[in-house]
Formats: sequence, structure tokens, C-alpha cells
Amino acid sequence: MIERRQVIPGDVIAKGNHRYGPYIEKRGDEYVALRVGLAEVGRDEIKLNPVTGPYLPRAEDDVIGKVVDLNGFGWVVDINSCFDGFLPASFVFGREFSPATHDLSSKFRVGDIIGARIESSERSRDPQLSIRGQGYGKIESGEIIKISPTKVPRLIGKRGAMINLISEKTGCDVRVGQNGVVVVTGSPEGIVKTARAVKMVDEEAHAADLMTKVEGYLGGSESGGN
Amino acid sequence: MSMKKNYVVETIRKAQLAQLLAGGKRMDERRLDQTRELKIETGLIQKANGSARVTLGNTQVIAGVKIATGIPFPDTPDKGILMVNAEILPMSSPYAEPGPPSEGAIELARVVDRGIRESEMVDLSKLSLVPGKSVVAVFVDCNVMNVDGNLFDAMSYAVVSALRTAKMKKYAVKDEKAEATDQWVPVPVERTPVSVTMARIGEKLVVDPNTEEEASMDMRITITTDDDGNICASQKGEASFISPAQVLEAADTSIRVGREIRAKIMEATK
Repeated sequence: MIERRQVIPGDVIAKGNHRYGPYIEKRGDEYVALRVGLAEVGRDEIKLNPVTGPYLPRAEDDVIGKVVDLNGFGWVVDINSCFDGFLPASFVFGREFSPATHDLSSKFRVGDIIGARIESSERSRDPQLSIRGQGYGKIESGEIIKISPTKVPRLIGKRGAMINLISEKTGCDVRVGQNGVVVVTGSPEGIVKTARAVKMVDEEAHAADLMTKVEGYLGGSESGGN
Repeated sequence: MSMKKNYVVETIRKAQLAQLLAGGKRMDERRLDQTRELKIETGLIQKANGSARVTLGNTQVIAGVKIATGIPFPDTPDKGILMVNAEILPMSSPYAEPGPPSEGAIELARVVDRGIRESEMVDLSKLSLVPGKSVVAVFVDCNVMNVDGNLFDAMSYAVVSALRTAKMKKYAVKDEKAEATDQWVPVPVERTPVSVTMARIGEKLVVDPNTEEEASMDMRITITTDDDGNICASQKGEASFISPAQVLEAADTSIRVGREIRAKIMEATK
């Protein structure tokens, strides 16, 4: 069992020698919290999940974004972050891409929702996106739900336990972006139920028995009641 | 870093919106002619002659009235001055920027000003002190604090509420010179104009559009009516058209909805 506890900035999370994630600073042999959140001291790593915060793009993350602009070279994508994602046209049309012969709006238009992967994220320029690979590209339908990006790990659960539970109980397909954007497809009733369950995770992410709570909510309403 | 210019509605959400509207429903479960919850607070700014804060759904606007003496305009030597100004604060929306007012902010102030002016809400002839030389000038300055669509109506209600509750010094004229006395009097308010803004999305007109609806609309129309249901000002916005039948529909709606809103403004400012 991983030890989880609430911390505020300045709290010492652990001592000794560990690997550590973002929002933690090493001072001497002490690991100090930099945010309000839940600290996890695992066997080989200490983590801090902040209560709130923006989505900070990291390479290899799967995100769901909204095309907000396009120019001759690619699409500007709102990835629910303080940075705009950029999807270069050459990543979509291939190396033979030329602004003169290819029409970008034939692929994605302003307002389209796309599933993408963060190709690279560095401070010197906007994060680059890519849609190469299975399952990436335009999302044609579904209900968009936004949750706090810091709650995404809770919504997914351990090895996808939480998200699989919600998906199984509601019969809906739930796609979660690391940036806090969730797209749900399925029957109208299923979508309503899924949306409530997702909101529940968002609001009660701090609860220790969250999985049971969500299961209780979904299980209780499975027989057609509210 | 690219600058965000306008809110973009997701294509799939726009499709859902259109589908709901076809069935006479809206995203936030309002009726097509239903406004969001309206809250009016007055007298918030101690140093102003009058003030009001209006919350319309998540849209929030604050208005302050400043009254002073001034020189009348040459074409109206025996009438007071009324001026409505608007500013959209940079903190009110991710799309608002500091700097000179945007086209939208200027249109906002002018549409609100015209509704108040053309309804003859304030009897400007009662604000004349020394004809051609000195009149009472009423300045209404508005700040948008949070943007969630329909700034026109929220601001109009804030200005009307602030003016209805504003107090000014009584002026005495002696030897062609106006001097303020210690006595406080209300601003000569004669009528209560109410503006109602509607957006056309596809075929349907919706009252009091929120950000999402404004980002999906083809056309917008603002109609201001007075206590007797007379139309005193109107403004059409955006690039698309409106059919004659829909103009009449919009006029009827603005009178009907305006009556309900007027009752709320009267209640909050009595």
C-alpha cells in the first residue's frame, strides 16, 4: 500500500534517497512539497499530485484538443493548457507537404476536436503535436467534459481501473486526455451517467474510497433508477 | 505564442446545439425566450452618485454614475449631458486584452447609450442650469467584470439601475452661475428602458445568448423598449441577415421579455 497524505508547501514528504516527480524539491536529504496536494511515497518514487493546477504538456502525453486556428504551416490547437499546441501540416500530409498544393482546412477545420500526442514540449516554443499512430486524429462525435488536469490520474485509476469501471457500467466509450479533456460516446442515458461519474471523480478526487463510491453510484443506477 | 482572439465552439458541440434548437431546447435547458438569472445590486460604490452591479448568469457588469456641471453642446444649449462609457476589463475573459477599447467595446457602449438616450429615460431639459453656459452632466462608466455572453443587456440593466438610484446635488443659480447646494435630489428619471438581445442560430432566435451561443450565432439583434412597449432603439450585429418576419418576432419578444425584466429592475431599485 502506497502511503498518501495531504501536504502544503514546505512540508517534508520524505528523507533519504528517492526518485521524485514534479512539484517536489530536494533540500539536503529532505524532499519538500512545493504545492498543496497529496503526496505519495512509493517504494521507488515519491510523487506529489497537486490539488489544482494547469496542464503542463509533457512529451508522449495523449491529449484531446480543439483546433482554434490554422495557418500555412499547421494548426493551432487549444490543449487546455497555458500553452497552445501546434500540429505541423507536414506531420499530417507527409514530407511532400507544400502550402501551395495542400489545403489544410480539408483535413481539420477551426472547431474540430482531435486526439493527438505531444511530440515534443520545451520552453523555447509551443508544444508540438502529432497524430501519427492508431486512434489519433479527428474525433467525429461525443460529449466533451472538462475536468481539472490534476485529477486525470484519479479518473484513469490504477492501470485504468476507474475508467474501465465507468465505461463498463455505463456502456459508453470514454476517452481521457492527459490534459483534462474527456470525450464520451454512447447512448444518451449512458452519457449522462458517465458525465456524473466523471464529475464525481473530479470533485472527490481526494477521497480514499473513491472507487467504491463511484461503483456504488453506478451500480445503484444500473437498474434504471436515478 | 499565438494570441487567442475569440472563443471557438467545438464543431461537435455546435452540432448538438443545432439539434437541440431544432427541438426548441437549449444547452443550458432554458426556453428559447428565457433569460438567465438576473441579480441587481445598487449603491455599492460609496463615492459615486449612483452605482449598480448586474449579474446575468455568469456575466457580470458594474456601472457607476458621476454627476458634475459642464458646458452644454452648442446644438443643445438648454439640455444636460448624458454619456455612457464601457470598458471590458482584461481580467474578465481570456480573450480581453488591455489597451485601447476594441471594436466590440465601442459598439457595446454605443448600443447601451443609444437605448438610454432614445428612450428619454433621463429628462435632459431638467438638467439645464444656465442655458448655453452651464448644465448638469451625467457620466455613466461601466466595467465588464466577467464575460459570459450578452454584455449588451447586462450593461443596459446596470446603467438603468444605477441611474434610477443615483442622487445628485441640487444646484442653485445665482448671477448666471450654478452652485451646488447641500440638498440631494434624485436624477430626473422619466422612463425605464429595457434592452433585450437575441441571437439567431440557424433558424431560431434565442434570448440572452451565453458565450457558447454567441460563438455559434449567425446574427444578433438588440431591441430596447420603454414602459409603454414602444421600441426606442435597435441594433443588428454580425454579418448575416434577418428576415422581415423574424424582425417582427424579435420585436414582440423584446416587448414581452422586456416587461418581465423591467419589473425586476423596478423591484431592485425602488
